[in-house]
Parts: sequence; structure tokens; C-alpha cells
Amino acid sequence: MASSLILPGRQRAMRDRLVRLHWPLIILLSMIAGAGVVTLFSVAEGSWRPWALQHALRYAVSLCLLVGMGLVAIRYWMALAYPIYAVALLALIAVPFVGEINMGARRWIEYGGLQFQPSEAMKIGLVMALARYYHGLRAEQVSHFLYLIAPALMIGAPVGLVFIQPDLGTGILLGATGVIIVFAAGLSWRIGFIGAAGAVLAGYAAYRFELLKPYQVERILTFMNPDRDPLGQGYHLLQSKIALGSGGVVGKGYMLGTQSQLKFLPEMQTDFIFTIFGEEFGFVGASGLLLLYLAVILTGLSIANASRNHFARLTSIGVVATFSLYVLINTGMVMGLAPVVGVPLPLVSYGGTVMLTIMAGFGLVMSAHIHRDTDPLRSHELL
Amino acid sequence: MRINAHDPERQELVSRRTLLFGGGVTALFVGIGGRLYQLQVHDYEKYQRLAQENQFNRRILTPLRGEILDRFGNVLASNRKNFRVLFIPEQSNDVEAALDDIEKIIPFGGDKRARILREIRRRGAFTPVEIKDNLSWDDFSKVNFKLPHLAGVLPDVGETRDYPRGAASAFVIGYVGAVTERDLGAERSDEDRLLLRQPGFKVGRDGLERTYEKELRGEAGDVNVKVNAHGRVIEELTDEARPATQGQTLTLTIDAELQQKAMEVLSVPGDRMPDEPQSAAAVVMDVVTGDILVLASTPAFNPNDFNVGIDPQVWRDLNKSPYKPLLNKPVTGVYAPGSTLKMIASIAALENGFTPNVTSYCNGRMYHGKRYFHCWKRGGHGRLDMKGAIKNSCNIYFYEIAKKVDIDDIADVARRFGLGQVYELGISGQQRGVIPDRAWKQAYFAGSPENQIWFPGETLSCIVGQGYVTATPLQLCVMAARLATGKAVRPRLVRAVGDLVTPAPEAPAIDVDPRHLEIVRAGMDAVVNQGGTAARSRLPDPEWRMAGKTGTSQVYQITAEDRAKGLGKPEDLPWGRRDHALFVSFMPFENPRYACSVVVEHGIGGSRAAGPKAREIMKAVAEKNPAAMMPIDPRTFVRTARAGGGGS
Repeated sequence: MASSLILPGRQRAMRDRLVRLHWPLIILLSMIAGAGVVTLFSVAEGSWRPWALQHALRYAVSLCLLVGMGLVAIRYWMALAYPIYAVALLALIAVPFVGEINMGARRWIEYGGLQFQPSEAMKIGLVMALARYYHGLRAEQVSHFLYLIAPALMIGAPVGLVFIQPDLGTGILLGATGVIIVFAAGLSWRIGFIGAAGAVLAGYAAYRFELLKPYQVERILTFMNPDRDPLGQGYHLLQSKIALGSGGVVGKGYMLGTQSQLKFLPEMQTDFIFTIFGEEFGFVGASGLLLLYLAVILTGLSIANASRNHFARLTSIGVVATFSLYVLINTGMVMGLAPVVGVPLPLVSYGGTVMLTIMAGFGLVMSAHIHRDTDPLRSHELL
Repeated sequence: MRINAHDPERQELVSRRTLLFGGGVTALFVGIGGRLYQLQVHDYEKYQRLAQENQFNRRILTPLRGEILDRFGNVLASNRKNFRVLFIPEQSNDVEAALDDIEKIIPFGGDKRARILREIRRRGAFTPVEIKDNLSWDDFSKVNFKLPHLAGVLPDVGETRDYPRGAASAFVIGYVGAVTERDLGAERSDEDRLLLRQPGFKVGRDGLERTYEKELRGEAGDVNVKVNAHGRVIEELTDEARPATQGQTLTLTIDAELQQKAMEVLSVPGDRMPDEPQSAAAVVMDVVTGDILVLASTPAFNPNDFNVGIDPQVWRDLNKSPYKPLLNKPVTGVYAPGSTLKMIASIAALENGFTPNVTSYCNGRMYHGKRYFHCWKRGGHGRLDMKGAIKNSCNIYFYEIAKKVDIDDIADVARRFGLGQVYELGISGQQRGVIPDRAWKQAYFAGSPENQIWFPGETLSCIVGQGYVTATPLQLCVMAARLATGKAVRPRLVRAVGDLVTPAPEAPAIDVDPRHLEIVRAGMDAVVNQGGTAARSRLPDPEWRMAGKTGTSQVYQITAEDRAKGLGKPEDLPWGRRDHALFVSFMPFENPRYACSVVVEHGIGGSRAAGPKAREIMKAVAEKNPAAMMPIDPRTFVRTARAGGGGS
């Protein structure tokens, strides 16, 4: 490997780093975002406005961010892990007091004309903080009871805060990502099973003691039996399935998706965008898009595996986990396999914050790739 | 804390877990892919069908109702544009709030609101419900202007029934009304039920509108429309449209102009009771064809009030009125015919051995069966022959006949001349009236055998058209027509259904001696033209010599007590106790063409109240002489079917 010729610890020239960029990952991400632009153009009935152009621009900006973050040495990210987590957590705590109410939930903080969604920052912050935490643990310590208290709090605090916003989708995402990192770090199966049992009990208790908002309960119940209310939640699901199903093998053709064009589908540019893609490009197109996602995920995991830095590995796994969960929950949701919880399809759904989060996450993955040979000891000594 | 970052064990563990995670995610992706395969490949046809159903709605095209024309093509019933506002409940999140919003633009009232809400519950969220119809153009534009803010509101231009002649044609045509559950239950096919469920669809409720419902309704068409999720029509697929077929035109025998004239004449208050509305009926027939030219009844209602949803107060008033404006008096009103029955009595007498020269002395009253029978003329008519008895309407002369002629024979003549039977006109509620005879009495008093015997005194009452005898104005007109022609003339109201002309009913000669007819006709001529009881009703034109007979039938017997109270004169009695006034006639005398009957309820006297009205009507008939004019040919106006505007 060419990269092994470069001595560890030496400041790498910027040119070298650019060469070491993981171009296949960038191309894959760009293809997915491209699919988003194409679909948004169709949703707007053949218009760049209001979504397609904006989407493309945001991707371009996010890609710059990704590359920029990738060029930053992993040790700096390691140093920033806890501070980022702390800021995100403080912001989350502040949301109920200063947040903007949007669609019945307080999720945003506005500062000087800039909107900021602390729960999105937390998706990165939590991944980094957990990775940083396990970076400092030996293998045998991972499953030790005492060393589980900190990660449990690190996961539990933001998840709880997000749940009360209320934002069920993000809560599930954060919690699941955290658990995946803990497992990836080597948690023993025995503790895993005990934890899973506890989670089931907690979920039941939440339902039993009405900790969930009525609409959240409604969505879950509708998911279990979509025929409950054909014009309410189940209606959207049915319309979504009709749009997808009527696409057939090769689809109805670009901009010819009757169901989506006739506005049978809700929130087409965001959560239900996969159905339009599926309706217009059929099984061939939709499964192609799924393969692109899988390719990104597997690429991300291989980058994680190739890194010699424990923090970088776990961060990459966390980012990939978040990304995977987005894709799986969204596609499962529009096909009736998961409850309608309002999770967008990353890089395809219209929406700047999620794109920024995902691309920033992959910025960390890129950094892990570029600095995969960084001497872990040395980086440790830096701290 | 010393940490060995080069922990190979840890490295190994994470690699294993990463591999495991990658495998798990891949498996989940395979699952998602499988689901995608199931939806898009395996169940493709199912979802394809559902998508089609989503997109295409079958929309019923409401047919235009057939028109109803008079004999000369004047419109009696047609259709006009109806601007209305429909509401589709499922497109609105909050029905109450939506109704509030509409109310702000076009107030429709609390009663109506309750009705709309009931309708919504009954029909379900998908069917449009009519909020208000017959909107002015201004109100309709206002709704259209505010439309973007009104969820679920659908402005629509429908068709509604229009009766340009209003009350004048009310009884002949009837009216249309909203569809009821019963109407839906009576329909055989789903297709028809679907049509009847169209918002604002009306069906015939009374008169010809009801009888000829099937012919007038027409056939629904349909068109597939492409709609979006909000039910808004994106495109009409007109290539596959099946246009609606307008209902058939109904051509009547009625002469709208004369009908109008008759209504006016009937409405003129009586000379001595200007404050009393005229509750009256008139029928004019062409005695050759049996065509009914006039079928008038006053007071009348306005049929246009019914198809727009009648105002409850108007409805209550119509029902409460003692003048019975909802009653079609020419066919459903039964009256004791009084002296108009004397021609029947005369023929019965002649057939039973009487000669016209037989005379009788009238001193004003006659003692029979332990009581006095009075002539209408105090002091009597003196000596009269049959013609004189008819001319002066002497009761005593006919009482003498009644003593010798059997009631069954009188009834037989009455039936031959058209009394006691109903005619196929297409109007419901026709009354048969009563022509009593022994068999009738036996059947009528089946419950009380002591009353089943026919008493001779009863014949005396019946022979002057009192007692059990009753007849409708239509029957009296048929009687006059048959007396005029000697033929069993049958009335006809519908000349043609569509382009199919109904043949004139057969009018075979009546089994009667023509000489007998001559005698009664001469009597009727004398009534009008030789100083008889209707001398003042003579027509001025000698070419149109009208013969007739007055009738006054008692509703209430003035008692000695009444006289003591100074209520000796009929004008003193309350309206409902005064005698009915009747008049039957035909013209011209020599070669009869028209027959007419007039009944003025509680009009006191035939010669005073009914005769002059008959004169006015017959004068108008004579001046126009509609029988000499060419009626329209039904084949010329068979319209090409056109798609209706209604539906949604």
C-alpha cells in the first residue's frame, strides 16, 4: 500500500490528503443525492423550484463540509468529541425554554436568524462521545457493570430530552445508534439480552402510563393495523403502497407517476419521496437506489475496519449506523414495515438539516479513512 | 489512566462486531428489497387496479327531464339552470366549521343546517350534499370567489324543473320533489338508484309528473373523470362518455291559453260575496275527440314552490285553507250534481213510458212519504211539460217521475252517460262518485241490514241530484259531451308520449233513442236561450249557441230555527254551509263541438254563480275555437339527446 510508505505522525501534505480522499464513497453519496435532485424535480411537476435546485446547492455545500472535515486529523475530532456532545446536550436542555414550536413540537433553536436543531447535532455528538469513551477502555472493561453507567447516561439523557420534545423518530434513531456503538465496542451478549428485555419493559411502561403523545400511539397502532382509519394515518400508508406497487418492474416513467402527481401522497418531497422514486422508476430503479445505500454502508464499515484508531473505527460505525437506520426506517415506513414516525430518506428527501448531519458524519468517516494509519499511541499522547 | 491503545483483543472484537453489523444491515436491506419486490412485482396488478380507482371516478350525467307541452306546443313544464352549492363532507376536516363559513356567504338557516347534517350522516362522507340551490347569480359568484377558502365546497350548475304557467297548470302536471328512501326502495336497478342519489335529483310527486315518471325521467349517461386526491376533476375522458338521454316530451290535449283564461274566470269573486275566494272547478272538452282543453281548479298552488323545497309556512297554509288549494277539484272533488242530473232523469222517464208531453202541476211542494218535498221556486211553476220542467228546473215534475221510475233504471242511464266511473287520464286521486241503485245500497250498508232496502223517498232525492248521488266536474263534463253527441265520448289528457300519439279513445254510439236526446237537448237549449234558469248566460254569437243546465245542490238544510234567527237567505249562512253551484253545457247547439262543466263550491246558485262563469269560459273557447286549429305534430319536436349538466 502506497500509504504505508508515509511515516506515522508526520504532518501529511495537503496534496497527499486530497489524494487519499475516498473517491468511491463521494461518488456513491453524490449518486444518491443526484437521485434526490431528479425526484424533487419531478415532484415539483418538472420544476427546479422549489426543491430540486435548493437540494443540489445544499449537497454541494455539504460535500465541501465533508471534504473539509475529512482533511482534519482524527486526533482533533477526538479532542472535540466531548465538547461537541456537551454543547449539543446543553442546547437540547435549552430547547424547551427557548425553542421554536413547529408542527406541535419544540425542536428548533433560532439564533441570529440561523435555525439550529440540537437533536441533529446530538446525532454526531453522541456518536463521537461514545466512541471517545470506548477509545479509553480495555476490552475486558467494556462489559464491566461500572463502565456501563456512563454510556447509559450518555445515551439516555439526549434520548429522553428528544422524546419529550416530542420527536419519536429522532429518539429511536439516537437510542438505536448509541446501542449499536456500545455493541460494536464489544458489549457481551448476556448484558445485551438483559438490556433488550429492559427496553421492552420500558416501552410497555411508556405506553401503559401514557408517556407517548396520542398521535405517537396512534401511529404505532395504525402501523399494526393499517385498515383502522383509511383516511387518516393508514390512508397515507395505503396511498404510499399503491404508488409504489403500481410502479411495477420498470416504473411509469420519469415525471409520469400518476399517484404522486395527483397529490394522493402526503409530504412527497420529504418522508414519502421513496414512493415517488419507486413509482416512476419501478422495482429496477428503487432496488438500484437501495443498492447504492447498501454500498455506502458497506464502504463505511470497511473504512471503519481498516482504521487503526479505535475512536475512528467506532465513530465510523456510529455514523454508518445512523445512516442505515435512516434508510431502513424510512423505506420500511413507506412500505408498511415500520410505523410512520417521520424519518426522512437521507440525501434524497428535501431538508437541509438532515443532509448536513449525514454529510458531517461522513466527514468524520472520511477523516477516519484519510488518517487510517495514524499512530493511535501518539494521538493518545496528544491528549 | 494507562491505556493500551494497541489492544489486539479489542481490535479483534470490534472487527467481528463490525462484520456482524454489516451482515445484519445487509440482511435487513434484503428484507426491504423483498418487500419492494412483493409490492412492485408480485402484487403489481392489485396496486395497479387500486391506482386506477384512485384516479378515475365514474360520474353520472343526469338526464334532462322531458318537457310537457300543451296541444299547441306551449311549454307547461321544462327545465332551467339551477345554480347551487354542493358540499363534499370528506374533503373538509370540520363539517360544522365549513358550514359556518358557507353560512357567512349564503345564509341557509338553522332548520336547513340540521337537514344538511342529517343528509351527510345518511349518505356518507363521499356523496356531495346540496347546501342550497336556486341561488341568484350574485350569490353564486360570491361562493365561487371565496372558493379557495372553502374546503369541500363544490359550486355546480344543475337543472331544475320550471313551470312557466305556475298555478294555472298545477293540477294537470303536478310537481316534482326530492327523492325519498321510499323512492329509492321502489327502484329496481342499481343504476337507477345511483341516479336518484344524485344531489338535487327530483322525481314526479303528483299529477302527470308522477304518472309519467318513467317516460319523463330519461336515461342517465356517464363519463369517467380523472380526479386528484381532493376530488377535483383534472380531466374528463369525453371519448368514453355515454351522454344522458333527455326524457320524452309529453304533449297534452290542454289548451294553455284557455286554461289560463278559465283560471282567471273561476277566480273572479261572486257578485254578492266579493270577500270570498272562489273555490271552483271547470272542465272543457272537445266532444268529438274527447280532448280535455281545460282542467281548472281554484285556488291553486304554485308548483314551482315544490321543486325548490317548499317553505314550511306555505305548506301549512296550503293544508289548512278551507278552500283546499291542494285538491284537484275537477277529478277529486265530488259534489251532489243537483239539477244537472235532470237530463238523466228525463231520459230514464222517456225510456220508462213517459212522453215529453206529459205535464205536471207544480204548486211549490209535494207531500210524499210523510214529508213535504219542495220545489226551489216558492209558489211553484204551475203546469209544465218535460221541456219546461228542464228549462225551469222544476223539482215537482221530477218527483212525479221518481214515483214511477225505478232507481235502478235511472242509475243505468246515468252510467251510460258517463257518471259513476273513472277515466284513464294519468292523474291520480280521481274519484268515482256515487250513482246509487239497489245493489249499491245493499253493498254500502252491508253492516246494517235494516238500511239495505231502497226507500221510494230516496229516489225523490236522487232524481234531483241530491241524497247519495255525487259526481266530479269531469264526469259532469263527460255527461254533457255525451248528451251533446249521443256517443260514449271518453276524455283524454295526454295526446302523445314522445313521438307516439295516443289514439283518440273510441266513442261508440250510446244505446239511447235519438228522439229522447232531442227532447233533453231542446230542454237544455231552452234553459239558456229561451228564458230558462240560465238565460243570462246566453252567448252573444248566434253561431255559438250554447245549451246548458244549472244545478244547485244543497249542502245544509236551512231549518226553522235558522229562519227564526233571520238566517233565511243563503248569503247569511257561513260559507261552508251554502249550496254548491253547478252548470253543465255544450255548444254549438246544432253541431256540438265543446262541452263544459263548472262547479263553484258554496256558490249558492247554479244560475247565479256557475252559469256566468261557464259563459265566460265558453265565450273564450268559441272565440278561439281550438278544435279548428292544427295541434302540433309530436314527431317534429323529438329532440336530440344531450348530456345533462347536473351530477358531480
